[in-house]
Amino acid sequence: MPYVITSQCIGTMDKSCVDECPVDCIYEGDKKLYINPFECIDCGACEPACPTNAIWQDRRVPEGEEAHVQDNKDFFELTLLGREGPIGNAGGSQMVGAIGVDTELVRGL
Amino acid sequence: MTATTHDNENPAEEVTSEITDEVYDIAIIGGGPVGLYGAYYAGFRGKSVVVIDSLSVVGGQVAALYPEKKIYDVAGFPQILGRELIEGLHQQALKYNPTFLLGESVTGRSVNLDSNIHTLKTASGRKIHTRAALISGGVGTFTPKPLPAARNFSGEGLLYFIPNPTELQDLDVVVVGGGDSAIDYCLMLKEVAKSVTLVHRRSEFRAHEASVKELFESSVEVITDAEVTSLLGDDRLEKVEITKGDEVIYRNCDRIVAALGFNANVASIKALGIDVIENRHILVNTKMETNVDGIYAAGDIATYDGKVKLIAVGFGEAATAINNAVVRIDPKEHLAPGHSSDNKG
Ligand SMILES: Cc1cc2nc3c(=O)[nH]c(=O)nc-3n(C[C@H](O)[C@H](O)[C@H](O)COP(=O)(O)OP(=O)(O)OC[C@H]3O[C@@H](n4cnc5c(N)ncnc54)[C@H](O)[C@@H]3O)c2cc1C
Ligand code: SF4
Ligand code: SF4
Repeated sequence: MPYVITSQCIGTMDKSCVDECPVDCIYEGDKKLYINPFECIDCGACEPACPTNAIWQDRRVPEGEEAHVQDNKDFFELTLLGREGPIGNAGGSQMVGAIGVDTELVRGL
Repeated sequence: MTATTHDNENPAEEVTSEITDEVYDIAIIGGGPVGLYGAYYAGFRGKSVVVIDSLSVVGGQVAALYPEKKIYDVAGFPQILGRELIEGLHQQALKYNPTFLLGESVTGRSVNLDSNIHTLKTASGRKIHTRAALISGGVGTFTPKPLPAARNFSGEGLLYFIPNPTELQDLDVVVVGGGDSAIDYCLMLKEVAKSVTLVHRRSEFRAHEASVKELFESSVEVITDAEVTSLLGDDRLEKVEITKGDEVIYRNCDRIVAALGFNANVASIKALGIDVIENRHILVNTKMETNVDGIYAAGDIATYDGKVKLIAVGFGEAATAINNAVVRIDPKEHLAPGHSSDNKG
């Protein structure tokens, strides 16, 4: 029942959400950020911090943004362009730094 | 079991030689809801118990992240406030006088292989000897998020929790934050303190609507879109500098309360020399045993196929872990605790 980041983040990426997350599970792609659904403890602290309203609980995402529920997951579970394997559960975005690449869905947006 | 890899490096187990201090029967690492219930159960079984938590208060995620939220799915309570549930668990555990070491993180473990006594080490250098341990560390050690402006201030006057509001009687207090706890602190202090000022860096509050309304109708001065940029005073805090856009404001301040949220860190759990999977979970069997003899895990940190992370689930796991630990440290004991309703209550 994690929170997910939808397309509104693209282009803003101010990372206000990152400061709020107690478990450091919001990871940086190239033009968007992604929440690791496995590491998220569903506390909701990031949601009101987002200036663009990009963050939603996975079962409440607005119409047209449904694909981002799976996409946040894909960011961690699939092998992103130019990487050797999936990011997986890295145990904190500070440990891995900015990933610098997006999912296929986001690259196409 | 789901296919998982052991993705941490297990520090080689150190060996302790001589133990002269007190040895506890059961050490509980993490005083969240699950650890507190484990402490009760260990006491009920007549065992000596120590509960260690990095926070200065008990209650784990519930106390740190949602003390004022209502919980609807704890067995036996159609609804209960987070802090009331913790208060109840704390009282229940206190019945058997466990030792609480708060504000201490467990950062290492060694074992005496002859006696099977484990020695836990804390960040402050303390050593705790125990026959068995229950790891109920949730999502890791909680610590309050630091107030950036306090970086260059080493005097007295900075607080992260308010255990006893009367200590702030007749003082000028500044609270920083925009969540439930910041607002609750203001509302609690407004009758006690000389003055209360709330500084929040945004204009929206992440808190119950009713308490935000009460805040704006109260005597609390609310400064939004602003940040505390400096703490002034030598040995003791006297004033704070607040920056709001281009404007710099000063307020008298004896105590500043930073209610900025918490960080959870699993690093110290990984340093316990127990297999950690997926960087945050400990695999347990049906007795809640980890891969190390005498070390058990329960609650959010414990995992197995089909695990559901809920308080109610953690309670059951804690009872299972403690009763099995009791038999492990004294094979003459029974696994079944007997009914609490029979005599002991
Ligand atoms: C916003 C929110 C709402 C929730 N709502 C519900 C709900 O309605 N119902 C429900 O059942 N669950 C709910 N949950 C989940 C529930 O809070 C957790 O399942 C529960 O807190 C787990 O308890 P725990 O004792 O295992 O761990 P925690 O509560 O995480 O406590 C672990 C404690 O261990 C300490 N610790 C960790 N490592 C160390 C160490 N090395 N040394 C010292 N101390 C250490 C930590 O500081 C912490 O205090 C919610 C969670 C959140 C965030
Ligand atoms: S809901 Fe909480 S844990 Fe999940 S991403 Fe947001 S801040 Fe982090
Ligand atoms: S706060 Fe919102 S817009 Fe900013 S980085 Fe996070 S999700 Fe993106």
